[in-house]
Amino acid sequence: MTVAAVVSAASVPAASVSAAAADSIPAPHIEYGVLSPLFVVFGAAVLGVLVEAFAPRAARWAVQVGLTVLGLVGAFVAVVLVASSDDWKGARAVVAEGAVTVDGPTLFLQGTILLLAFVAVLLLAERRLDPGPSGAFAAQASTVPGSPGEREATRAGAAQTEVFPLTLFAVGGMLLFPAANDLLVAFVALEVLSLPLYLLCGLARRRRLLSQEAAMKYFLLGAFSSAFFLYGIALLYGYAGSIRLSEIADAATQAQGSDVLLLSGVGLVTVGLLFKAGAAPFHAWTPDVYQGAPTAVTAFMAACTKVAAFGALLRIYYVAFGGLKWEWRPLMWGVAILTMLVGAVISLTQQDVKRMLAYSSIAHAGFVLVGVLAADDAGLRGVLFYLLAYGFATIGAFAVVTMVRDPAGEATHLSQWAGLGRRSPLVAGAFAIFLLSFAGIPLTSGFMSKYAVFSAALDGGASPVVVVAVLASVVAAFFYVRVIVLMFFSEPAADGPTVAVPSILTTVALALGVTVTLVLGVIPQPVLDLAGDAAAFVR
Amino acid sequence: MGVQNYLYLSAILFTIGAAGVLLRRNAIVVFMCVELMLNATNLAFVTFARIHGNLDGQIIAFFVMVVAAAEVVVGLAIIVTIFRTRRSTSVDDANLLKY
Amino acid sequence: MDWVPIAWLGGIAFGFAVFSVVAGALTGPRRYNRAKLQAYECGIEPTPQPVGGGRFPVKYYLTAMLFIVFDIEIVFLYPWAVAFDSLGLFGLIEMVLFIATVFVAFAYVWRRGGLEWD
Repeated sequence: MTVAAVVSAASVPAASVSAAAADSIPAPHIEYGVLSPLFVVFGAAVLGVLVEAFAPRAARWAVQVGLTVLGLVGAFVAVVLVASSDDWKGARAVVAEGAVTVDGPTLFLQGTILLLAFVAVLLLAERRLDPGPSGAFAAQASTVPGSPGEREATRAGAAQTEVFPLTLFAVGGMLLFPAANDLLVAFVALEVLSLPLYLLCGLARRRRLLSQEAAMKYFLLGAFSSAFFLYGIALLYGYAGSIRLSEIADAATQAQGSDVLLLSGVGLVTVGLLFKAGAAPFHAWTPDVYQGAPTAVTAFMAACTKVAAFGALLRIYYVAFGGLKWEWRPLMWGVAILTMLVGAVISLTQQDVKRMLAYSSIAHAGFVLVGVLAADDAGLRGVLFYLLAYGFATIGAFAVVTMVRDPAGEATHLSQWAGLGRRSPLVAGAFAIFLLSFAGIPLTSGFMSKYAVFSAALDGGASPVVVVAVLASVVAAFFYVRVIVLMFFSEPAADGPTVAVPSILTTVALALGVTVTLVLGVIPQPVLDLAGDAAAFVR
Repeated sequence: MGVQNYLYLSAILFTIGAAGVLLRRNAIVVFMCVELMLNATNLAFVTFARIHGNLDGQIIAFFVMVVAAAEVVVGLAIIVTIFRTRRSTSVDDANLLKY
Repeated sequence: MDWVPIAWLGGIAFGFAVFSVVAGALTGPRRYNRAKLQAYECGIEPTPQPVGGGRFPVKYYLTAMLFIVFDIEIVFLYPWAVAFDSLGLFGLIEMVLFIATVFVAFAYVWRRGGLEWD
């Protein structure tokens, strides 16, 4: 069922089979309770596949949405239960024969991913904005757009309800990725989270060519980067003779073996992680994919993938490469500075709202990296808080994008948004709140999260990076304010887009985004404390 | 013959694959180059397993093969769909999304 | 000198192949029909290229992809089968769970018509 179980089941026999085949091998010990969030999500995903196979077509949408929501809520309850029990504390945090670590950061990140995925699923399930049995998704993605086959599928009421099991599989991979305590589990989790996302990108009902192009670009570049990640794992395995994070750390502190293997392994693994996190110079896919993918999928990716990727990056860097801090910090300084500048400066020239949000997400990846640079528990706390706050704001922003429409679908060109604030002040106001949060204006969650990571990085001795980060924030803030001015202080065009009235699902998602963004900006302390309590990796 | 030679071979194959991804224009060929990179990695894994005298590397190779198969299926599905729409698999033709 | 038995084995295999071909050519009856002239066992029939380049129907790729993924998933059975005795009940249960999961995917393909050629 789970990767962890298969890993341990498979690696135990191989180690001793050559000695004596008849000896009985002790069964690996799997802590089912502590791992239950993973089991719930993957179980719901497998059930979803069965629903696709056996449920009648008319019932599938409702059943899938219900199953997905149940799975996510159930997994979140499981995370809360595990976190409130003492099972996972101390030495018992390393579970499944060492393949997975369930410690504070893992539980915080898993909870964050599940909450964000829940909000994103509300957007995925929206069907009123784009009327039809399949909502914003193609009725049958394998048909050629505009062909008789597609018309027939639409007439028959086909719906690509596979979206929901695919989302659940991706969520499962995301839950496992930051918990992975060995690099093989990390690789498998990376693929389990990526492969469904590649497919989800290509399912848009409108502008299918863009969507398919986004899927292909994401897939080819994603596969390329995971090959680098894998070669990095091979080199680290060659260096340490093990893929367990703690054993790599031990080998690195004893400085056994060749430094070439170690450092090139660290470099290649970093390429794979930075690609998923969308940091420069591995960011090139982000704008294209964010623009081409269905907007609900973009929201899901932008929020959840980032959390999972940074979670894994933190664990691998803090646990396995913690002793190499002096080697990787200069490199990370450069990456963080480049990422912030690329994201902030290029977003100035964007004319498309989704591309603009994509470059904004690149800039935010840079800000999160500033927190990673601190390389201590304060930095970790800041990053955990940042990911939660940014995730809610970005899902909310994409929810607004799904609602601003003209007859051809979503109106994403920035000039079409002129005067939006006069037509529908509520929606434009919500978008303005998200933009202010991205800009880091006080009383929004963005300010608190930037403050948390920047102060941690200052204490950690990365002051030049913090200076660049503040400058990049100012540049980006200039652009966000320009968009707000455009929305509120310019005349709406006569044939401009309208704000469609969504169903309760998108409304709830948007309301949640606004609420969390404001609440975390005004009273951040409880969540900061929670992140602070969680912020210690168990080796 | 030293066992390191397998590592050199693996590095060379990986580099050929990476160069192919960057230079070739047909999506299928690009994808085959990615597969070449994964298989080069497998060669490195089994060689390191031999050097270290433990079997972890061989187990990893199994996992990489299975993951690569799943990746092939997802990738070919995407490429076949885009081919049916566009009648072309050249990555140069996929140019609607830029700047 | 360790390689001598392998060289012997190679020699015997080569000799047997030559013997079979020659013996078949000398002793077999020569009665040709259509099926005998076709490509051996599998593959697409070697017809002349149709107009617009030789393209295989999408069904072919679909079936090939399904074959690859189900074929390679089964690789996990090998290490389990080798150590089946020593793994005991836990290994058996894990394997049953694994095969059940693969079977769920198979059920999906089957019910949604992925295995029908027409």
